[in-house]
Amino acid sequence: MVITTPTTPVALRCEGVRKTFPGDVEALRGVDLVVPEGAFFGLLGPNGAGKTTLIRAIVGLVIPDGGVMEVHGQSMLGPQAPAARQTVGYAPQEVSLDRFVKTRDLLSLHGRYFGMTRADAAARADELLEVFDLDDKANALPSRLSGGMRRRLMLARALIHRPRLVILDEPTAGVDIELRDELWEYIRRLHALGTSILLTTHYLEEAETLCEQVAFIRSGQIVDEGTPSGLRERYDATSLEDVYRQVMNT
Amino acid sequence: MSELTTPEANPAVSLRRGQWRGVAALAQREVTRVVRIWSQTIAPNVVSAVLFIAIFGGALGGRIREIDGVPYSAFIVPGLILMGIGTAAYANTASSLYQARFDGFIDDPVSGPMRARHLLVAYMAGGIVRGLLIGVMILVCAIPIVDLPLVNPLPAIVAFLAAAVGFSALGVGVGLIAQTWDQQSYVGNLLLTPLVFLGGVFYSVNVLGQPWRALTHADPILYMVAASRQGMLGTSEVSLWLSLGVSVAMAVVMVLWAGRLIAKGRGLRT
Repeated sequence: MVITTPTTPVALRCEGVRKTFPGDVEALRGVDLVVPEGAFFGLLGPNGAGKTTLIRAIVGLVIPDGGVMEVHGQSMLGPQAPAARQTVGYAPQEVSLDRFVKTRDLLSLHGRYFGMTRADAAARADELLEVFDLDDKANALPSRLSGGMRRRLMLARALIHRPRLVILDEPTAGVDIELRDELWEYIRRLHALGTSILLTTHYLEEAETLCEQVAFIRSGQIVDEGTPSGLRERYDATSLEDVYRQVMNT
Repeated sequence: MSELTTPEANPAVSLRRGQWRGVAALAQREVTRVVRIWSQTIAPNVVSAVLFIAIFGGALGGRIREIDGVPYSAFIVPGLILMGIGTAAYANTASSLYQARFDGFIDDPVSGPMRARHLLVAYMAGGIVRGLLIGVMILVCAIPIVDLPLVNPLPAIVAFLAAAVGFSALGVGVGLIAQTWDQQSYVGNLLLTPLVFLGGVFYSVNVLGQPWRALTHADPILYMVAASRQGMLGTSEVSLWLSLGVSVAMAVVMVLWAGRLIAKGRGLRT
């Protein structure tokens, strides 16, 4: 378990988070998770383990049946939810870009959805277009972008409002090695600037390379967590993949 | 590569002010969509209405001459404007919301700090603007063709606003609960259009016998058409206050229904 003292700032705290979908599908069965402020945290698990449901609950797109969920000390489930959501950036697994809006406007609008002024959002959009090498596509519709560009745009969109916690749901799924390395570099730089990051991934090498702490989720429950080196030691494993196999009994 | 800025660079934003900035942005997105694809969102409704005026009012209207003391070509104009506003307002919000859900980009505003009422206002804005734009254009096209006395525009304005607001809200609700493209178009084609046509756009309920007359009085569109006709032509089959009351009440009910759906997260949060 991640050990936090009362004085440790916490980016995300989940306690007993439950969610059952119609048809008695128990997606989350009492998830307990703490992501310290400034941490690079990996959430690992097989398909259907509950990773995406948990993440969508954190950003307010899934309504949990019970439990506590706080971001930077503010509840995501009550009247504080809008203020809490303002501090979170989210890049979903599936590419979902507004087909009617050009790249620069897409970023700028997203920033304004999160409360930025028109001028600040426009300036920040230009900044991120340059950071993600999309400035020559500023006036292109998403349908005119390559797959890699869309992935970068998704990441830029998650960062437009300068969130304190960034949640990335399998950001490198299905991308080639060059783009994966590029995305890793962007994410590392983001973390170096003090942003808390919660990353889900199927790629254990990715988690081992990037994450300071990881948690394993299986059948809607966190089954173990710790630092990659601590977990390797505890499971007498040579890699996080070995740990994963032991934890998941695969 | 240029440098990323730090999270600390985020200016302190008042939540409430920020939420209304979000509303302005989402409303702008909706209105921009209407204008950008004007050939799909504006032109067809205006052309249809003008054809109705030309064919029913001009070519065939010569055989009907007058209804309730008003030339037939003028008699149908308020209803046609209302029909244009209502169907366009509904179609805009229903299709825009359903498309955003279908493509997944509805998550952008929903995962932000806006509350249900903010999302409702923003999505309705596109439908209201589209509906009123079409209403104004039909009126502008009708003025050279028919003689419209515009006796007391206020009731007509209230009826048109109520139609724009009410049908935008209806579209929001249907856009949220529809599971397929067909479902959101069914409501427009199989419910809304018949209600509009049977709401006295092309005829006076005074010419109907029972039970059709009583049935027509159960159609809320009748009251909107009546209020707009009272305002533009000075004639109506229904008392002014009743028609205004039903028009506004229908809009309020639709807004409350759509607001409740959003607040419960229907179609937005699972």
